[in-house]
Amino acid sequence: MAESTCRVLRDGALEGELAPALTIKDSILTPLSFHVFDYVLSQLSSYVLAGKSQSSGMVIVALTRSPSYYVNMLNSGGIDGVSMDKWHVLLQKLKGCGQIGSCPDSSSGVTVFRDVRNLEKLFSAVLELGKGIVGQGKDRFCIAIDSVTELLRDVPLSSLAGLLSNLRSHERVSSLFWLLHSDIHNTSTNAAVEYMSSIVASVESTAQLKSGQQGLFLLEQNLRKAKLRMRLKRRNGRVRLMSEEIHVEQSGVTFTSISSEESVAQTLVPKVHFNLQLSEKEQLDRSKVVLPFEHQEEQNGVATEAEKSGMTENSSRGEIIYLRDSDDERPDSDEDPDDDLDI
Amino acid sequence: MSTTTKARTSSFSRNPLAGPTSQIPGLKPGPNGAVFVSSGIPDLDRILGGGFCLGSLIMVMEDPEAPHHMLLLRNFMAQGLLHNQPLLYGSSSKDPKGFLGTLPNPMSPKDDKPRDRGTEQDKDLRIAWQYKKYSRENQLDSNHEFCSTFDLRKPLERQYFGGKHVDCVSTQDLTLDILLQRCSTFLAQNSRSGSSISCGGRIAIQSFCAPQCGYIDKDWDMLAFIKSLKGLVRASNAVAIITFPHSLLSSSFSKRWQHLADTLLSELAQLLTGYQEMVGFLGIHKVARMNTQVPLVLEATTFSIKLHKRRSLVLECLNQAPIDGASGTSYGTSSSCSTSTKQGSLDF
Repeated sequence: MAESTCRVLRDGALEGELAPALTIKDSILTPLSFHVFDYVLSQLSSYVLAGKSQSSGMVIVALTRSPSYYVNMLNSGGIDGVSMDKWHVLLQKLKGCGQIGSCPDSSSGVTVFRDVRNLEKLFSAVLELGKGIVGQGKDRFCIAIDSVTELLRDVPLSSLAGLLSNLRSHERVSSLFWLLHSDIHNTSTNAAVEYMSSIVASVESTAQLKSGQQGLFLLEQNLRKAKLRMRLKRRNGRVRLMSEEIHVEQSGVTFTSISSEESVAQTLVPKVHFNLQLSEKEQLDRSKVVLPFEHQEEQNGVATEAEKSGMTENSSRGEIIYLRDSDDERPDSDEDPDDDLDI
Repeated sequence: MSTTTKARTSSFSRNPLAGPTSQIPGLKPGPNGAVFVSSGIPDLDRILGGGFCLGSLIMVMEDPEAPHHMLLLRNFMAQGLLHNQPLLYGSSSKDPKGFLGTLPNPMSPKDDKPRDRGTEQDKDLRIAWQYKKYSRENQLDSNHEFCSTFDLRKPLERQYFGGKHVDCVSTQDLTLDILLQRCSTFLAQNSRSGSSISCGGRIAIQSFCAPQCGYIDKDWDMLAFIKSLKGLVRASNAVAIITFPHSLLSSSFSKRWQHLADTLLSELAQLLTGYQEMVGFLGIHKVARMNTQVPLVLEATTFSIKLHKRRSLVLECLNQAPIDGASGTSYGTSSSCSTSTKQGSLDF
């Protein structure tokens, strides 16, 4: 569930531990990761505002969208200008790009960072801004990176990985999350970014393209609905898998749990070639069986000896059918272990 | 054994085992002249036939979702410090010294209730057993025991962190040449030649090909580094353990790295919804064998990692095929073990 992921990010990191990091990844078929990103951002912001989270502030590194978008989003989410000091948007000026929108440099809460390739400077800038928000004490802040894909345009993977790991291991960082478009990168880059994160949320399409169907209809559908799969790495090494459906609506994004055949209670019984379960009739019959020594209580002294062939009783009662292995065996041999078998 | 008559049937005579080795704490003589150091996990020592061979290179294939290799490293390093063996720790993080603070302390005897010695504590039952004197009776001082059980909840006491013995290096900003140089100087200052066998030290490198290291695109250089390290370790009677996230390498290089290892372990994260005690799986693919061509055939190659009372690490053989709770299929078929859904095959 997306909410539990937000709670994990809200709770942050323990002392001496790496901060939890979320990767939101999608592909061209289902470009809904921005919606998920916005959702996580607004959830975390509300937690920060309510004082419920470990972090007391947030730094947003905006590369794909302009800071005014984030300012507007936070404003519409109920965060007025007074408490805007808890958020800081760091805008990275894209190479070859002019003025982005109508974003003035001097607006409160927005800093323009011009050096695209120097990730060490970005790291220190983010830390400075974060410490500026939360103060010099022990408070932590969380970081949102608009898109790691944009960062990877200019820097090699090792620098980015170094940035992410240094951010995660810094003691003032509570949690971080970022966006990744998985089809733009090759598999090793995707694997490396997933390795750096503790939660991976991938947006996949629900509808399969069947032959004969209109591709356009499916494309449209994929813009409104998708499946979100999350893998959470927990501290003790167990991995939790979750799935949800995303619906994009006017007001935002809603998540519904999948009620289809996938979430059927998974039994731990392995698939083997014989039947381990009992049918209804079999269960009923089983409950009617009289166990070997039970009936001695009722009928005194009637001890039936083991017979050579199976016994038949009333067919309404359940029965135990005992067949001897071989018919030549003498029934009264001394070593007959079935002597006291009492059916 | 050959008799003392002049006529000998063979020209080889068995050397008596050198006395000093059995007295040096932390070193245990094994078959074929091999000497073992403990891995810090009693079950792993038992499975590997005594421990890690001196002069061998152990490689651990990390699962990106599981942190169990850290447990292995912690136990390995703490055991080395307990036996006063010099330690070099290389990590991909910026501050490797922080990891030393998470090393576990050996369990104090009063907490340690061993699982298989229940009858000895049973006061009203006295067993007169002919072979009791051959079994392990004394509870040795934990410093001199070959393998201690570690309490993962308690940090290692300060007294074991002698300044000269422990060295940390961060692999994030180093080049491979400098790293190799560090390793060779570390090994050179610790090894002694001569008849007495000493342990040249322990080297632990964590997450060798993590993405934040600057050398990750130099595939052949990394391979050359591992080969050189293996030679250094063999020459100076040391033990090196390298953990690496194998999924970040290309498959051909991952295979090459696996072939270079003397002992190869792998870890697997656990996806099950049941089996609450198990935290993961450890696979053992190769075991180092020194001075012999006879391989070690294990009864099982996959073991479950459990935390006994949340404190000590326990490896248990699996009795049935683990079931992937997510997809509902089982890893093993009824007769033999087939490949699992995503990771490599689990062998029983």
